[in-house]
Amino acid sequence: MTCIDDDGIVRAWLDHELSPVEEEQIKRHLSSCSSCQLRFEKLRAGIARTEELFAVLAPPAQDKGTDPELEYSRLSLRVRSVEQQKIPLLTSLLARFPRPLWGVAAGAVLVAILVGFNPVRTLAQRFLAMLRVEKIAVVTIDPSTLVSSAGADSRPYKLINQFLSDNVIVTIDPGRPAILANLNQAKQLVGYNIRTISSLGAPQRVAVRGETAFQMTLDRDRLQSLLEEVGRSDIQIPESANGALIAVHIPATVVSSYGDCPLRQGYPGPDNSRRERGGEFVGNNCTYLFQAPSPTVSVPQNLNMADIAEAALQLVGMSANEARSFCQTVDWSSTLVVPIPRNTGSYETVAVDGVEGTLITETLPQGNRYNLMWIKGGVIHALTGHGSPSDALSLAATLR
Amino acid sequence: MGKAKSDLSQISPLDRLTYWRVLEAAYPVGSTDTLARWMSLRQSSSEHWLEADFRGVFLEHYERMVAILVRLVGDRSQAEELTSDAFWRLYHQPSLQSEGNVGGWLYRTATNLGIDSLRARVRRREHEKVAEHELTGKRAGDPLHDLLREEKRQHVRTALALIKPAAAQLLILRASGLSYKELAHALNIKMSSIGTMLNRAEEEFRKRYLALHPHEEAL
Repeated sequence: MTCIDDDGIVRAWLDHELSPVEEEQIKRHLSSCSSCQLRFEKLRAGIARTEELFAVLAPPAQDKGTDPELEYSRLSLRVRSVEQQKIPLLTSLLARFPRPLWGVAAGAVLVAILVGFNPVRTLAQRFLAMLRVEKIAVVTIDPSTLVSSAGADSRPYKLINQFLSDNVIVTIDPGRPAILANLNQAKQLVGYNIRTISSLGAPQRVAVRGETAFQMTLDRDRLQSLLEEVGRSDIQIPESANGALIAVHIPATVVSSYGDCPLRQGYPGPDNSRRERGGEFVGNNCTYLFQAPSPTVSVPQNLNMADIAEAALQLVGMSANEARSFCQTVDWSSTLVVPIPRNTGSYETVAVDGVEGTLITETLPQGNRYNLMWIKGGVIHALTGHGSPSDALSLAATLR
Repeated sequence: MGKAKSDLSQISPLDRLTYWRVLEAAYPVGSTDTLARWMSLRQSSSEHWLEADFRGVFLEHYERMVAILVRLVGDRSQAEELTSDAFWRLYHQPSLQSEGNVGGWLYRTATNLGIDSLRARVRRREHEKVAEHELTGKRAGDPLHDLLREEKRQHVRTALALIKPAAAQLLILRASGLSYKELAHALNIKMSSIGTMLNRAEEEFRKRYLALHPHEEAL
């Protein structure tokens, strides 16, 4: 064997990175070549010296890092909120939705802001009423009469979208939900106890959505001219609403999924019953438990909520008469109004978890689906799954 | 509704998640779900990271990346931050999924971020501050020993910041225990070239180190 002139090979040999055959060859050559031995020694000394220098960089053994799982959930929250600062939340929310849908979204947000929270006076906020949800009421809406369907053009959509992005200020952006592998991590993140459906075992996954806050100052003239522009000049905004600052705060919410649920999201997205990407079927045994401490809404005390609710309900598809009579029947002193599209199912009041709850049953081609909602201890609970109303109630009975 | 479906398929799933989040913030799960199905929304398969895949990649590489960056920049919280940054960038490049070498990309990106930050620090001559920072909270031992060790750490990092970034990258990855095979994979170079490249990188590092600290013994 001639002298090895490739220091790269020598280096690899010294680093024990050669195949056993090559290693043996070099070893044999080295024992018989003194000039090579010198070069090897020089190289070896250099490597050792560098290694020694780099060794000081090693962190102390007791230097413990954060749990990667927890770090991952932090990253998802952080990355997402950073990402969303680029686009105003509500603009991105509504901007690219097809018209029939944005109407519901806008309507839902408006109804959420405007309808049915109980004013609770606090000393700290002399001019504001803090509103909290204590009850749930269902209202059926007719989505086909939403502003969105007023015509083929998307102008009303753009107008409302523009209006919302001009007027709604997001004060706390929640980012996208963090998906967590277990309940303890979720508890750490939300800071309150998360209940489980004990008869279903441990949740398959837990999704946590960060806290959210946004606010809006109502400008009656602008609202009224907006309604005119979208062809709903029949809807009247009450005088008392002018200049009112409405601030909404939604605490971190948790959705635990049990059974055969879509993997993509930790909470129900659209179309659960269909084939998921990757050929995976979402079966009928997927159950979701949603928990959220009541959102709080701050409004001026002189704001007449019923009047505004009436306008909002008309916008989401109720006739003026329907809206008025509904507003009169609802106890405004603490009610979250949940709109459901007409003809999708029935609803009834049931006893659940020691309180009164609302059970919405939908009839689907593959069987019934239930949505059971109730409020206990200031926390909104909702249980959704496939099955009969009694399935829903017996699952709710095993809540821990 | 036909139009609505095709419109929706073009919305990125993340935008849709935003939508569900806000809607569900206002409404319990069930009603949103009802509305959604009534609208016959569909999941699309547009190109993006699946949450589960991204999480898998994160959990696979996170700890090792942090360990490498702790060596490089010295400060654990900064190392964690840079690692998160690398994942942030990965998240925005979903096309990397199909290219196959996500791990390599991550190690390259993370070490590049670390070297950039080291170079910026040297430019700002902030290593004294960093040294102080690093010393606080360390185990109580021989104070002189700690001080000397810290000084040495600082010298090594300064020299790393001053050599070619590619050389610094190779050296820090090797010092963090990557095999030739892993180095070749991470840096997209032939395994047979690693030895030669390591020699060159070390040569450059030694020269730089000696130029900075001529009083230290010859390397």
